[in-house]
Amino acid sequence: MKKFKYFCLTIATAAIVSLSACNNTPTAENPSAPATTSPSTAQVTEATTHSGHGGKAKININTAILSELDKFEAKLGVPALSNKIQASRPYASPEDLVTKKVITQEQFDQIKDQVTVQEVVLTGETKDVDYMTKLGLMKGHLLVAQELLDKNLPKQAEPHIGHPVEEIYVDVEDQLNERKVKEFKTTLVSLQDLVKSNPKNAKVKTDFTASVESVDGAIAVLPEAQRTKPGFVLQVINGLLDAANSEYGAAIADGKIAAAIEYQDSRGFVVYADDLYKSISSQVAQSSPDANKAIEASFSDLVKVWPSAVPPAKPVKTPVEVTQLIKTIEQNSQKIIDKSSTKAQR
Amino acid sequence: MPNNLLLGKEQLFSRRQLLKLGICGAGVAGTAALWHTLNAQSKSIVKVPPLAIAATSQTTNPMQMLRNFDYGVVKQENGRTVREFQLTAGTSVIQLNSAVSYNVWDLNGRIPGPTLRAKQGERVRILFLNKAGHSHSLHFHGVHPAEMDGIRPVSNGSAAIYEFDAEPYGVHLYHCHIAPVTRHIAKGLYGMFIIDPPTPRPPADEMVLVMAGYDVNDDSHNEYYAFNGLPHHFMDNPIPIYQNQLIRLYVLNIIEYDPAVTFHLHANFFDVYRSGMTMTPSEKTDVITMGVAERHILEFAFRYPGKYMFHPHQDAIAENGCMGQFEVIADKSSQPPRKTS
Ligand SMILES: [Cu+2]
Repeated sequence: MKKFKYFCLTIATAAIVSLSACNNTPTAENPSAPATTSPSTAQVTEATTHSGHGGKAKININTAILSELDKFEAKLGVPALSNKIQASRPYASPEDLVTKKVITQEQFDQIKDQVTVQEVVLTGETKDVDYMTKLGLMKGHLLVAQELLDKNLPKQAEPHIGHPVEEIYVDVEDQLNERKVKEFKTTLVSLQDLVKSNPKNAKVKTDFTASVESVDGAIAVLPEAQRTKPGFVLQVINGLLDAANSEYGAAIADGKIAAAIEYQDSRGFVVYADDLYKSISSQVAQSSPDANKAIEASFSDLVKVWPSAVPPAKPVKTPVEVTQLIKTIEQNSQKIIDKSSTKAQR
Repeated sequence: MPNNLLLGKEQLFSRRQLLKLGICGAGVAGTAALWHTLNAQSKSIVKVPPLAIAATSQTTNPMQMLRNFDYGVVKQENGRTVREFQLTAGTSVIQLNSAVSYNVWDLNGRIPGPTLRAKQGERVRILFLNKAGHSHSLHFHGVHPAEMDGIRPVSNGSAAIYEFDAEPYGVHLYHCHIAPVTRHIAKGLYGMFIIDPPTPRPPADEMVLVMAGYDVNDDSHNEYYAFNGLPHHFMDNPIPIYQNQLIRLYVLNIIEYDPAVTFHLHANFFDVYRSGMTMTPSEKTDVITMGVAERHILEFAFRYPGKYMFHPHQDAIAENGCMGQFEVIADKSSQPPRKTS
């Protein structure tokens, strides 16, 4: 490792010298110049191979969920650092944490080995949260699609059957394969085709049931202990609510619900998040009664914002009010998540 | 050059590793300043009428988008110029006319998104942050490795980095590539991407015109159309240009749901540089057909002062908002440019 760094610094120094020499000449004017001055493939590969060894697992500050960023918060002891890191996205390089004034250089030096902006292979709980959140978004879409089909509104239901495939499936496909979940893209796509072309067909009902079962089955491959652990489920809930929040904001214009699709998306996500919370609320009530009270109260206000799958004439709450409720849930659940992740680390 | 095209993710990785060790930032000011000086020099020969653009926080401001180019932040890394751009997808509401407002997805708070501009051979790095609810992505036209193609969904709240070499030169575009792409584009996730040739084009009054449609009732049919985001704006606010001044229009057709439209200029003919990928015009015409995502550079100068319309010659589309005009301002001192015969 040490040897490698030395090697790189040599290249770096050489590059700086040649760069400052370039400053007065318009090298950029010459199209072939930049290509030839880029490092050779050999140097590049070397760097990758060596830097891959040793070191702890890295965290991608552009995509990591809050509880993962908590590792930095805990290490540096900066309150609400996870949220600050999220709020200053995107980052072009780890050093941007300093240039964007999220943390100081001294603090950065303490964590820089664990920070990356490159795609990392998710592991452990983070990976499971990511997996279940994505399936949860699918589930939310299907819940609202079901309601619209029941109301005999196949045209409105159709996009919510399409979105799980179009916006989410590709993103979770590798994980599904890895976890040996039988592919269900075909099921979703054929259901969408059917709803589009022949919504009255009796097969819609059976295909829909099959689709929902596929998503449920994919969630069920997670160990039950995981799926019922408050600290885990709350992370999923927060992911769903975050998406719901953006969608609700996108639905409203001039004090009216102008975009039904986004309203419906947010309804689906909130309904499923509420379901998930109900499954863990008694556990939370025991361990953190205050947090439970706050979360339950916010949820009961929140679900009223979506009285039906068909948008109401006038929004029940403004996007700002919805954001506030969701923030309250997030803040209170963070306490529980923190507790559970410190326990897990021990 | 071909070697660069084949750079994979691994190589990109390690390039960053090297940067981490301290190359970052060296020589940034030098090259950046140089290009801007060159630009400023060429602009001094170009006559651009002063524009009174209202300072506004509006998502749409067609006049402001007209001559506004985003050159990004320039860095020197490993002896190469890297141009770094930041694009954040969000949600907003635009006012299509006094009665109709419409929910869009915007990029950096505007629709169309910023016109990104780089030079052939530079490294381009785009930091994309999605804060718009659904999964979105950014797909750039041009030549780049598969993993930089921008078809993978970037989920709400997370960021992705697209990095590739700027090539080939031309007028390109970028847009969200999540299905249904029609909807994701039509609701605002697109912009122009210009790669300048190694030898700069002759000085001109340069402007961007992006044609787009709005399907306000989700029936896969556009009810409104616009240049640079807002229906009829350039009809009500003609674009001032000078007589005999060479005008260079970067025109993009990103109208979804209609297979093709034309671009027609009144009382004149323009030189066509197809896709902006040549330095010599392929034809001279006053109407050019453009399919979805087609874009060209059009050059012309007006000989006589006055107001001149431009619009697709699908007149129904023009009448529903895709219509504008130039106001040619008399310039006694100017000589007819070489280009006009
Ligand atoms: Cu999109």
